[in-house]
Amino acid sequence: MGTYENSRRILEALKEAGISLMASVPDINLKELIELIGQDKEIVHVPVGREEEGIGVCTGAYLAGKRPAILMQNAGLMNSCNALTTTALQFGIPVLLLVYYAGDMGDDAFHMLGLLTEPVLSGLGIKYAVMRDPARVKRDISAAVTSAQASKRPVALVLTRAVL
Amino acid sequence: MKRFECLQAIAPLMKDELFVTTAGGATSEWNAVRPSDGNLQVKTLGLCSSIGLGLAIALPRRRVIVFDGDGALWMNMGSLATIGLHQPKNLVHICWDNQQYESSGGEPTVSTAEKIDFAGVAKAAGIQSSRCVSTVEDLKEAVSYALSHDGPHFVWATIEPGRTQVPALKYDELENKYRVIRYIEETEGISVLTVPIPHSYELKTDRH
Repeated sequence: MGTYENSRRILEALKEAGISLMASVPDINLKELIELIGQDKEIVHVPVGREEEGIGVCTGAYLAGKRPAILMQNAGLMNSCNALTTTALQFGIPVLLLVYYAGDMGDDAFHMLGLLTEPVLSGLGIKYAVMRDPARVKRDISAAVTSAQASKRPVALVLTRAVL
Repeated sequence: MKRFECLQAIAPLMKDELFVTTAGGATSEWNAVRPSDGNLQVKTLGLCSSIGLGLAIALPRRRVIVFDGDGALWMNMGSLATIGLHQPKNLVHICWDNQQYESSGGEPTVSTAEKIDFAGVAKAAGIQSSRCVSTVEDLKEAVSYALSHDGPHFVWATIEPGRTQVPALKYDELENKYRVIRYIEETEGISVLTVPIPHSYELKTDRH
């Protein structure tokens, strides 16, 4: 489970970085953050059934002037690999991927997901950072959005329990 | 009815709608019938409906039309549920069903066995304005209705297989993206693309 305090910090940082639309698929550790995004008046929240859909929604929204992000678990990152490759990367869409790190060091479940998350991001050529320090949340999010916008590519932030 | 004659029949009904066209024959045929910088090609099979949803949510006063196919829709059936959930009034989703993966060599899709009712699925997912058409006249009527009433709308158009010889697209997906963005910027009066100035170029007034 996440905390409201940390989730609020992430939400504020996302808003400061100009994120204006968020697609999401839940995870237990993202519960508070998704709840806060759903309540927020400035960010358009688009729950989707599968993460590939979310990459599509973010792509359409970007073309129309939104600054999009998708919130999902790393299992969802795996689900969205084709859309990331043949849409987000091929068309050059700067979508911020906020990926919960299931199977992180010390997590007793989803160890294969944990093992493969960073290699998959590297394999896709997606720049990423693993977020472990709540004090750096604002800087990490601002930096990731800047990199995404400048490179016109998806950029990922991998969220660990420490920052949620 | 053939897809190409369908496209020719509905093109005169269009004004400044944005089009998201599936990875398949509908894209090159539509761009031959109605070339426009408001046409976006899709490279991920099935993702056209999701991209269209994102556009429709981001531009709620602009009509967005999605051209899907039976194979593509089968790959992203969940998008019907998501469209049903969000109820974008400005989204018109048309599925050209030729009962085959035309671009892959004509292999059967879920539609080939004629068990699936795509319009029924869409309706059950919450897309109330959902119908099946199999004649050009019915198609024109359905599209006219969709263009003049709040949606979301789903039109299941059952067509004959076969492509019409048309010129290949003149530009790739990157140029297509920029053209679509510039078209949206101009027609919506908004700014989407800004080129960042490197920090080293910024005028420093506090430097001595």
